Formats: sequence, structure tokens, C-alpha cells
Amino acid sequence: MASVEERVIDVTARVLQIDPAGIKLEHAFSGDLGAESVQSIELVAMFEEEFGIEMEEDAALAVENVGAAIEFITKVCNEQGVEV
Amino acid sequence: MPEDNQSHPLIDTTEPNFLEETFDYGLPPLIRFDSPVVEYIDGKPVEFDAAGLKSRDIVITDTTFRDGQQARPPYSVDQMVHIYDLLAKLGGPRGVVRQTEFFLYTKNDRETLDKCRELGHEFPECTGWIRAVKGDFRLVKEAGLKESGMLTSSSDYHIFQKLKFKSRRECMDSYCEVVDAAFEAGVRPRCHLEDVTRADINGFVLPFVERLMRMSEQVPDKLKAKIRLCDTMGFGVSFPGVELPRSIPKLIYKLNRELGVPSDRLEWHGHNDFHKVHTNGAAAWLYGCDAVNTTLFGFGERTGNPPLEGSVIEYIALKGELCGINTEVITEIADYMRSIGLPIPDNYPLVGRAFNTTRAGIHAGGLRQDERIYNIFDTTKLLGRPPRVALTDKSGADGVALWVNEFFGLKGADRISKIKCHKVARWVMDQYEQEGRMTAISDEELEQQVKELMPQYWEKYKS
Repeated sequence: MASVEERVIDVTARVLQIDPAGIKLEHAFSGDLGAESVQSIELVAMFEEEFGIEMEEDAALAVENVGAAIEFITKVCNEQGVEV
Repeated sequence: MPEDNQSHPLIDTTEPNFLEETFDYGLPPLIRFDSPVVEYIDGKPVEFDAAGLKSRDIVITDTTFRDGQQARPPYSVDQMVHIYDLLAKLGGPRGVVRQTEFFLYTKNDRETLDKCRELGHEFPECTGWIRAVKGDFRLVKEAGLKESGMLTSSSDYHIFQKLKFKSRRECMDSYCEVVDAAFEAGVRPRCHLEDVTRADINGFVLPFVERLMRMSEQVPDKLKAKIRLCDTMGFGVSFPGVELPRSIPKLIYKLNRELGVPSDRLEWHGHNDFHKVHTNGAAAWLYGCDAVNTTLFGFGERTGNPPLEGSVIEYIALKGELCGINTEVITEIADYMRSIGLPIPDNYPLVGRAFNTTRAGIHAGGLRQDERIYNIFDTTKLLGRPPRVALTDKSGADGVALWVNEFFGLKGADRISKIKCHKVARWVMDQYEQEGRMTAISDEELEQQVKELMPQYWEKYKS
């Protein structure tokens, strides 16, 4: 199974339609990767679908960069008993 | 340095202060006075008791069937009777909508008046409107009315240029003959000082009203002349410090306190040529006129009159309570007026289709969290109109989520998060970014998209 990092980068690349090889952990979704308002919502929705989890809306939207998203998703997966 | 330098330290708190003594969400925002209003009259400061508005018997009068009808094709008899019935329902048992006036010249005019009175409402009282012609009081008397307005134009534009009098004396004598005829007919004359905000106040208006007051001393109270101050061209100005004849405070002061015309015999009739019409009407209340003359949705000659529904909301804001007014009838009247062809712009306050519809995403986000943030008052309770969002490229996911939750009627913890609405939000954005759309998205289109893109919720809440 791919790691959380690989899956987050893959989803990010698909939603934002960018090359996954260019995505770095310190990249901010909005500032560096160009995510617009609706795309931020789509990212959260796609992460939920990818990992089979439910994220609290405001907390999820407050996550700013790829590295923080990996941490946040890992934490939610652990809380919700989803193996990653 | 500022002239009156004071320090204003932050009053920090973790509990918000919503100023609910003014912004009680269940009422229109209240207008609360914390000091008297002062105007300089003839160089001396004069106080007006603004807080006294709460206890004064201020009222709204209506001229939808007279001035309102001068701006559109005539209403049918049935339409007028229905509107009259709705006015009675709106104004309530205390008669906040106190009077409405009718033409008396045609068979249809008189039939309408009879049918309205057959409804048996105490308020609004039906009054007449005639030219300043002695013989016309026969019409008023035959109709059994207790009061009628009569034209007593007051500016030299009217006296000399329109009515062709040779002098002010000739004009005043002519008017007073008609007032005498009214007294003889047992009808209270309501003298409409046309164009008063462009008149020579000291040279004609005050002497004429003084004479009317002297004449009124000879008749019973129920016949004493009323004065309607007609701002025919919308020249009136509400704020202090303005000179006559445009100053509303000074005009009313001169009649009310210098000539002793009681407030319950003073009425303001405005026009909206300079966008001042509603504020001017409210100012007239404040400075001493008990009655403000209005039309439904401000529809009247040229730019219109004070909007009746706006005065109703102002009335509640000044009184601090509903006073028996049934505010939901405002929406009912607007729906009826639309159904008979009266155009009401979408952004028209209180009744336009979009008056409480927000388009900006950031505003929709606010509404989603607490509707008070972007709604003027509880429009659901007072007008039967919940706040809404219209979706455009500026609405964002917040706007979409708000629309979806409204559509499904979900509140509190049942509300669907904007994340779950992402497919509809994407469709909306693509309409503008991919399809080049230039118009707002209709409710029908959104409904179809929600059905297709959020089938699980459709199944749960709509099937």
C-alpha cells in the first residue's frame, strides 16, 4: 500500500492538475500550489474519499501545507480506526 | 491635536456584545434617542423632544389611490377594494395606517369608496381629494365623508404661473372662500399647501395659515382645518441649519409652535426627486407633524412619495414595538401588486425579490454561521421572507452550502457541510470559468444539480 504521503500528493496533483513530482511537503496549497477557494473544498472532499474518513470542516480547511495535511490526515485516520 | 482629545482604551472581552437593546433581531433595529434635537430658529436654539415620539400619536396616511394612481393606469374597483382591505390588515386595530384618500369625480371613484366602506373597517378612514372649488364640496358631502383634501397651492410658481391669480391677496381670499364652503358643508378641510418648500413662507404661507387658524376658531373641533405640507418637488431638507423654505424643521416649527397648529392637524407629503423622501417623512414626524402621507412602495407622481411600507418599519423602530401592525401583510401586498402588473425592482427594500438575498461568498459564509450577520432583522418572522443566497461566480462554496441547506430546510447540527457540497460548487464555478456564463444561476438549475450531484441527500430529504 502506498504511504500517506504518496496518497496525499497523488490526490493533490489530481485535484489541482499539476505534476506530482513538483509537490514538496513545505508547499502551501494556496500560495505555492495555486489552490483556489473551491479547490480547497475539493481537496478536503477527495482526501476524505481517498482515506475513508470524515474530517471536521473548519480544522481541515485550516491546514495550510502538504506536510501539515499528511500529519492531520494520519491523526484523523488513527482516531477513526482507519489503517494507513 | 484633536480639538476634544480623549483616550479610548480597549474594553477587552471574550463575550460578544450584540447591542441587542437596539438590534433586537425580532424587531426592525430601534431608533433610540439620547438627547433632544436642536435647531436654530431665527438665531435662537430650539429643542425638539425626539424621545417624545414614543408617546405621540404619530400616524401614517395613505394616498395610493390618489397620488399613487397619478403615476399609473387606473386600478379597477375590485383591485382598489382589495388593496384597501390589505391596508386595514397591515395597519392593525390601533389605526397606524389612519387615513386614505380618494378621488370623487367619476362614477368609478364613488363606487370604489362605497365598496371600501362596506368592508366596515374603522381604519384607514376614507377621506376625499378635490380641487379648491366651492362646488366640489357637494361631492364630498354627498359621499358622506367627514374630511377632504383641497388644493391650496402656496408658491408663487403656482399662484401666479399656474393658477393665474393677479395677486397673493386674491389667491388667499379665493382659498378661504372654499374653506368657508367646507365648514358650511360640515366637512373638515385639509388644506394642501402645494409647493410649500418653494414658497415665500413669511410673505404668504404663514399669513394664510394664520387666517385658517382664525377661521377654525369659529367651528367645532371636528371641522378645524388641517394643514398638509406638500413638498411637491422634493426640495425639502431634513437636517438642521438649512434656511427656509427648504428646511423641514423650520417649516414645521413655524406652523406648529408659532401659529399654534396642533401636531394632529399637521401632515407631511413628500416627493422623491432628490432621494430624500423617506427620511424627510420621518423628520417631519420628529419635528412635529403627527401624520406622514405615503403610498405603497412609494409609487406616485414622477419619482414617487414616501413608501408606506418603509414608514411602517420606521414607525416600529421609533415606537419600539409592533403597535398592532401586521408586518407580514407588507409581503402579501407586494405579491398582490406584482400580480396586477406593478413593477417592483428586485433590489427594492423590504419587498424586492432580492432584498435579503446575498451574492458574495464571504457574506454567504457569514449567513451560514449566524443569519444575523447579513440579515437586517428577522425577515422570516416579520415579512415571511427568509434570507437567501443567489449563486454567481462570487458565491463560493459557502454560498452553495447555504443554498443547499435552505433548499433542504436543514438547521443546526443537521446542516450539510460545504465539503459535502463540493460537486455543486465545482459545477457553479465551471459555469463561469468554462462556459463563460454572465448571469446568476436560477433556483431551478441548482435544484437539478443537487438532484444529480448529491443523490444521497436528495433521497434522504426530498423523496
